[in-house]
Amino acid sequence: MSHPLDRYLRTDRLPHIWCPGCGIGIVVSAMLRAIDKHISEGHFSHDDVAVVSGIGCAARATLYLNFDSAHVIHGRAIPFAIGLKLVKPRLKVIVIGGDGDIAAIGGNHLLHAARRNVDLTVIMVNNMIYGMTGGQVAPTTPPTIYTTTTPYGNYEYPINVIKLLSALNTNYVARASITHPHLIERYIYKALSIEGLAFIEVLSTCPEVFGRHLGFKNAVEFFNKLKEMVRPYEKPPIERSDIVWGNEIVIGEYVINNREGFVRSVYKSLNKWCKG
Amino acid sequence: MKVEYLTGNYAIAEGAMTAGLKFYAGYPITPSSEIFEYLAKELPKVGGIVVQFEDEIASINAIIGASWAGVKAMTATSGPGFSLMLEGLSLAIMIETPLVIAYVMRTGPSTGIATKSGQYDVMQVRWGAHGNYEIVAYAPWSVQEAYDLTIKSFNVSELLRIPVILLSDATLVHLWERVVMKGPGEVVIVDRKKPKVPKDMYKPYEPDEDLVPPMACFGEGYRVLVESLTHDERGYYKTTNEVQRKLVWRLVNKVRKNKHLVVDSASYFVDDAEYVIVAYGTTARSVYALVKELRSKGVRIGLFRPKSLWPIDDDALVKACSKAKKVFVVENNVGVYVNEVCRFLKNKDVISIPVIDLDIPSPEDILNVMREWL
Amino acid sequence: MRYELLVVGRGGQGVLLLGRILGLAAAKYCNLYVTSCESYAAETRGGDSRVDLILASSEDELDYIKVRGADIALFLHPNSLAKFSNLLKDRSKVFIDSSFPIQSLGIRNVELIKAPYTKLAEKELKNVRVANMVALGHLVGTLKILTQESIERAIDDLVSTEWRDLNKKAFKLGVRITNDEH
Repeated sequence: MSHPLDRYLRTDRLPHIWCPGCGIGIVVSAMLRAIDKHISEGHFSHDDVAVVSGIGCAARATLYLNFDSAHVIHGRAIPFAIGLKLVKPRLKVIVIGGDGDIAAIGGNHLLHAARRNVDLTVIMVNNMIYGMTGGQVAPTTPPTIYTTTTPYGNYEYPINVIKLLSALNTNYVARASITHPHLIERYIYKALSIEGLAFIEVLSTCPEVFGRHLGFKNAVEFFNKLKEMVRPYEKPPIERSDIVWGNEIVIGEYVINNREGFVRSVYKSLNKWCKG
Repeated sequence: MKVEYLTGNYAIAEGAMTAGLKFYAGYPITPSSEIFEYLAKELPKVGGIVVQFEDEIASINAIIGASWAGVKAMTATSGPGFSLMLEGLSLAIMIETPLVIAYVMRTGPSTGIATKSGQYDVMQVRWGAHGNYEIVAYAPWSVQEAYDLTIKSFNVSELLRIPVILLSDATLVHLWERVVMKGPGEVVIVDRKKPKVPKDMYKPYEPDEDLVPPMACFGEGYRVLVESLTHDERGYYKTTNEVQRKLVWRLVNKVRKNKHLVVDSASYFVDDAEYVIVAYGTTARSVYALVKELRSKGVRIGLFRPKSLWPIDDDALVKACSKAKKVFVVENNVGVYVNEVCRFLKNKDVISIPVIDLDIPSPEDILNVMREWL
Repeated sequence: MRYELLVVGRGGQGVLLLGRILGLAAAKYCNLYVTSCESYAAETRGGDSRVDLILASSEDELDYIKVRGADIALFLHPNSLAKFSNLLKDRSKVFIDSSFPIQSLGIRNVELIKAPYTKLAEKELKNVRVANMVALGHLVGTLKILTQESIERAIDDLVSTEWRDLNKKAFKLGVRITNDEH
């Protein structure tokens, strides 16, 4: 018996490595539904999709996806994806990774991809911790929380990537949460039809090395806590995008711009020569 | 065929375009920036793309992505930039990506003197990246050779699906010389081989007899899997000794077993040479002058010049030194490549002649250091 | 055939352009092998600028890239003469701009060829900036290693249309000095 989305998976590689209660599977299946919707509506074909990822739990998604895919090195998925996209603009290039991969080690690449408005869909699964390496502090970890590299509590303040990218006039900036899978799907669907950079942060749970540090006894308890905090809004103001653990966390489509995408800018300058 | 008067940097850029370059990504760094600037102006005229990235890390990863999109790609840099590119170089080796890095050496450590020359980084090129691998690096001694070896770098990178380094220095890239440039059909251009099996049978890391797997690229319908983790022929991550051994040995052996297609060298006056000097890159120019002068005074001395530093043309080296009583290795650094030469000349008296000079060691300076052994 | 040629001047005198025109003309239009390296002070104006050119009829004759014993030297400013005298061969031909006061040269055994390039450029062409081309004309006209036509084609290649005619005029003016001498 096969699932309708199985055609997008390298099913011979299952089961996947994600822990029970991990939120990444929810993100990936929402992404596949969004892709499938586009394909069934004839917007692009299965072979037009490319997925690029770096290193980390979320980045492992490429191992299971039956698209042209690249599982490259930590933090560098975006530059790889830019090279790919510029040469083959027909491809719908999706970058998926965690908050460490995309906002820490790859943070500078994200920032400049946003400045250039590169035509990519970047999905940052934010579990607020380094999961694969065993629970070290991330640039998204809330203050005071125990991690294995901040054993006396996190003494840093987290980065708000939504705010950062809005300052760079990114074309599409949204925050979703694994507690609201239909919104993940809706945002990714939209992102895939947008010119320029589309960035979606998806709040997720890591019950193993984050939930336990927070004192949650199991994945369900952790999930329910996140669900209780998360509130979706239509076009929320950017001022409400800060995440303070325990308070209301606002999700929604924060920024929608219509700047020219990088591919179009590059090819416009190139066409001057091709025509001449 | 067309005769031009070019600097080393311009010749490298022209060589890359002759070889079929279509994507350049880079970050400005002295003394390589003219390659970038020249291509920014010229490459779009032949439908190529040139982009400046936020750093060298992004640059190398972007050309890896571009190469997987199916085009020939390169970057150019110098020491500090190459240091940043090393993780990307290791990735390119692992996922068997054809690309070319034009590395223009300047003085170091650290920022050194950005505009001045040296040969300090020949070992970094060989050993800098993590993991075990063979690297291919060419060291031109003239502007003509910078052009020719750039084409060869692309050809070898495509042939073996490896990153290739064109290693020059600040002196060469600013030198002006006559260059004969080749037109279409006047020089062999190699393109990566494509799969011949049906799409559903294709395995991205399944090699042919030459140990090189045919390369399907993104957007061609093969659903390729680029994998930086240790992988089997399908690209599937595996954590067994068997897969690790098979992969690493194949990556290494595809260069070793195809060495005859890669190595390049030149020998001068070696047939009866009692003394042989080994020198590479610009330093070999000074040594060539010195050798000719000593010859005119009756000294039986010759020059062996590796054009491929990695791997060295060891058969030609051994042959060139067969009658030599002493072998000198002259370098514009503290004497590092001498160790590679020693590996193949175990029973010879091999003497390191390091002469540090911000431009190029002069024949007089070299002779002054060598004199006590002559 | 192999010549080592040294061109020295002060920043802003157009030494590098002169060197490039010479090299391009030799390589592209006279079928010679050329090696040329440039060195200059960090400042755009003032400080020594120097071009070393080695011209050869076969590739084998090219080796070390710098001048060790110049067969020919051109000094667009006499100030640097003493500094570079150790690079001159015995009986080398040394061209000097005599527009500037020349004190004791401190060199012997060379053939000094003096002409007031800067003054000529100023008087005949109302532009001292093309003194370099006057000197080039004198050099090329005297030596007869490169053809005048090859230099003019190199000027076409390297000088923007706006300044091309003036540079060619200056070059021809320099060639005429040679003819006047004979």
